[in-house]
Amino acid sequence: MTPPATRKPLIEFRNVNHAFGTRPIVHNIDLTVGESEFVCLIGPSGCGKTTLLRMVGGLLTPSSGQVLFNGRPVDGPEKEISFMFQDYSKALLPWRTAAGNVSLALEATNVPAAQRGPRIKELLAKVGLANHADHYPAQLSGGMQQRVQIARCLAQEPSVLLMDEPFGALDAMTRQALQDEILRLIAVSKTTVLFVTHDLEEAIYLGDRVVALYPNPGRVAQVFDVKLPFPRDQLSTREHPEFLRLRRELFDFIREGEA
Amino acid sequence: MTPRAKVLWMIGSVCVTALIVVAWQMIANYSGIPAVFLPGPDRAWRALVTGFTTGDLTQLSMATVERMIYGWVLASLAGIVLGAIIGSSKIAREYVAPMLEMVRPVPVSAFMPVVIAIVGLSGGMVLIVIALGAIWPVLLATVHGVSSVEPRLMEVSRSLRLGRLQTLWKIALPNSQPDILAGMRIGLTVSLILAVIGEMLTSEAGLGYHVLVAARAFRSADLFAGVILLGLIGLVSNVALQEIERYMLRWKQR
Ligand SMILES: Nc1ncnc2c1ncn2[C@@H]1O[C@H](COP(=O)(O)OP(=O)(O)OP(=O)(O)O)[C@@H](O)[C@H]1O
Ligand SMILES: [Mg+2]
Repeated sequence: MTPPATRKPLIEFRNVNHAFGTRPIVHNIDLTVGESEFVCLIGPSGCGKTTLLRMVGGLLTPSSGQVLFNGRPVDGPEKEISFMFQDYSKALLPWRTAAGNVSLALEATNVPAAQRGPRIKELLAKVGLANHADHYPAQLSGGMQQRVQIARCLAQEPSVLLMDEPFGALDAMTRQALQDEILRLIAVSKTTVLFVTHDLEEAIYLGDRVVALYPNPGRVAQVFDVKLPFPRDQLSTREHPEFLRLRRELFDFIREGEA
Repeated sequence: MTPRAKVLWMIGSVCVTALIVVAWQMIANYSGIPAVFLPGPDRAWRALVTGFTTGDLTQLSMATVERMIYGWVLASLAGIVLGAIIGSSKIAREYVAPMLEMVRPVPVSAFMPVVIAIVGLSGGMVLIVIALGAIWPVLLATVHGVSSVEPRLMEVSRSLRLGRLQTLWKIALPNSQPDILAGMRIGLTVSLILAVIGEMLTSEAGLGYHVLVAARAFRSADLFAGVILLGLIGLVSNVALQEIERYMLRWKQR
């Protein structure tokens, strides 16, 4: 379960176990994510996907085993790791405008006030919200709120993006637009992404690898290499024979798991 | 509310007010209650006008308003600072909250003799009493607001590696804004009441003392003029604060 030898390992789970109380949640997780790799996590609800992400984000310490970032154990949120929360409506400050919310990440890293304005403008433009800088979250649609969160994450200039079902609640069109946006943005910045989704096709479309988990307790079941060419395209990629083959393989795998 | 409904409401409330004034005039004129006790609105109005033109009602009102605002600002600042300290620490909350709950229901008037013993019967005593009385709604609102931040936002704060002070300043306190503003509005009313009582006790110049003297001298028109002024001060300050609240909480509207 290691990335291609050409990639330098960036995030490593080493025999990670976690239990809430006496209930084991994840069991003997061994997984390595390489530098600028895009790894998707799939698995049934409750199998511990969010739990694994929270460990990398430094929000949760595993009961046993180690999570390494750049070879060092994670013992709290890292500056270079950015967490994008699933429930975007709760993860934005409702009393700050879109610009203000992006600003929070810059304030956190003590970017001087004079430099924030242009940076915010640039970031909001990147996610297509140039004209909504002064809107409060309550005035934005779900997709727009999620874009604000993306912009806030990008403001951190992270080397790792942790994304927890980021597009789960969005309509198909917005979803595809944001998928392409993310791929485009990280292609430039060479960001490493750990991405949780329920959508098998989304996982294949975005990922370099797809990691499937078993539930009760959460374990790595199988890892699928996605050998699809970049840049990916909503039409041609999804019609690519390799895409269809992987889709079938994953669906069969899920069906077996349910049987 | 639609603009139409708003206008109807306004006409309605003006009518009710007019009706009350008319009824008051009728009672004053025909009920047989002597004018030393109950002046009609006509005489109360005349007392107001002469009070403002030839008398010192302007200075007296200013004095009371000033007292009310100073005490209220003092109470609000202290309430927010203390509330932030208590609210942002679980330990402080557990140790201090039960004591707060015990002290809070004690009427401020019970503290007055203590304050008088310490600082004497003075303007300073009135300020302290106002602050003591008006601090509670702000303090409790701040404790609640600061300690009830959406857990996801606390994770955002951790994830962005905000420090304790930054978290308090950028997340917990803004999160408490609606509670704090509501508390401050209650505190303002309390401040006015205590400003009046304090003036009555200390004979410090102001509407409170003015009203007391007028009552003792059976100058009922002056008494009513003072009471009406106090009501107006309460009303105007409340409406002003409501407007400020509406502006500050504009992010809540859709
Ligand atoms: N703080 C907690 N205390 C106790 N149990 C928890 C806690 N957080 C998560 N769990 C449990 O751990 C299990 C895994 O949770 P997790 O959120 O990681 O699942 P998930 O794979 O992300 O699920 P979903 O796809 O529904 O988001 C769940 O059964 C959940 O009930
Ligand atoms: Mg989850």
